[in-house]
Amino acid sequence: MTTTHTRAPSAETKAPRRSALLQRDWSLLAQRLGALGIILALWQAAVLTGLLPSITPTVPEVTLGLWTAVTSTSFWTALGQTLSAATAGWIISCVLGVFLGLLIGPLRWLDRSTSVTVEFGRAFPTIALMPVILLLLGATTSMQITMVVLSALWPVLVQSILGARRLDPGIADTVRIYRIPRLLWFRRVLLPSALPFVTTGVRIAASISILAAVGIEVLTQVPGIGRMITLAQEAQRWDLAFAYLFFAGLFGWTVTALLARAESSLLAWNRQASG
Amino acid sequence: MKTLIRAGWTLWLPVLLVTIWWFASANSTNIYVPSLSRIVEVLWRDISSGLLIDAARVSLTNLAVGLLIAAAVGILLGLLIGETRRLRLILDPYIHFFRSVPQSALVPLIIGAMGIGAAPKIYTVAFACVWPILLNTIDGVRGVEPTIRSVSRVFGVPKLLYFRRVVLPGAMPQVVAGLRVALPIGIVVMVVSELFASNQGLGFYILNSSATFQIPETWGGALMVGVIGYIIVIMFSLFERRVLSWYFRSGAL
Repeated sequence: MTTTHTRAPSAETKAPRRSALLQRDWSLLAQRLGALGIILALWQAAVLTGLLPSITPTVPEVTLGLWTAVTSTSFWTALGQTLSAATAGWIISCVLGVFLGLLIGPLRWLDRSTSVTVEFGRAFPTIALMPVILLLLGATTSMQITMVVLSALWPVLVQSILGARRLDPGIADTVRIYRIPRLLWFRRVLLPSALPFVTTGVRIAASISILAAVGIEVLTQVPGIGRMITLAQEAQRWDLAFAYLFFAGLFGWTVTALLARAESSLLAWNRQASG
Repeated sequence: MKTLIRAGWTLWLPVLLVTIWWFASANSTNIYVPSLSRIVEVLWRDISSGLLIDAARVSLTNLAVGLLIAAAVGILLGLLIGETRRLRLILDPYIHFFRSVPQSALVPLIIGAMGIGAAPKIYTVAFACVWPILLNTIDGVRGVEPTIRSVSRVFGVPKLLYFRRVVLPGAMPQVVAGLRVALPIGIVVMVVSELFASNQGLGFYILNSSATFQIPETWGGALMVGVIGYIIVIMFSLFERRVLSWYFRSGAL
């Protein structure tokens, strides 16, 4: 699984007095800004001394590029296009993956029968299918969404199966003995029990969706932020290319951070229950 | 007999799916969906002529070198940053930022700047793969038991020995998990970089055949990449179980 790298950070801060905490926050911020300054200075020095390829833009050039990007409408349109394609594919993957996963997970025979197929799908580098899908559907948004779904479905599916599989046998027996209705069982027993796993899958799927959507744009004529990067590179506008790359990173970072926050508030009960 | 039944249970669905594909596509008139038998025929032709083997060798070498660089840099820096609390706090937002950059967006920049040879592809793979390894190594180092840490300090264990025999093994499960995350990213970036611009490798085979409308070759190349990716991931999980057998045995999971 890909769950291990996103373990919740251990409670490290020991709750010192408020003023001390504030002060430390400020000094940490100052140090972080200092580190940023050092990184940028190293970059600038590397460009000026010719350590990086000659086309690499300098720090002021990229800063200007960032400004040019933010103030142009084409940038925001492209960002919107990437965002909507990635979101559409992500939502389809989540619905499909959770549905199939919760169907497969509790049924032992189905779980065993599908394991090789699911494993294969997960390990398959979907991007390799891109030329084939491109031939079938053309350089369209529906092709892009199809590719996103084919890439992002698997983590949701695998995590949902794992979550559904982990249902406590004692609870399963209780449910059977009391003849709990199927729908109630699904909503109040299976779903909550699988939720911690499902949310991890949903989160991984989000970053894969962005990766796939941008990747498709880089490789084909589908419009979006990835296409903008390729176009800027072809036009030798390296400052803009770096600026777009920066925004692509910022975009990915924002999505990851938001989802991590949503997940921890959604699963607050789980963490309390398990200590 | 028991293993036979188990194999039957796990394999009937893939076999059924391939069979359906085989017969459903047999009389396909859509030129974009060639019959599976034709795809297999073409694949076999290009494998036995060595064309696809050479392409796979080029791609896998790039992937392996890129991953090795990423692992070396990620583990070394991870040990250093994980051990130094201050450094970790300062660099944390930057590492997370670089981790979030959609790796495929790097491809036009690096290849545009450095050309279509092997080096830019290796760099792209290395750059994309280094962040998950780095983050996981930092997490792993942080997870090392504080008691073990202080015992090593009290006994004055030399720094190098301490890193090699205490911190690294302690962080190993997380490091391997980081490699497991990095591996599929590396495969995807390898394919994207070859599909973007190349003159050899598996991605080139796919790109070239689709540009010249050799559709069965395009399908065959895609399948080949998929199967190779699958084999790599399976081999890695075997390797993981071997390297970390002590960890799995300890029941720490």
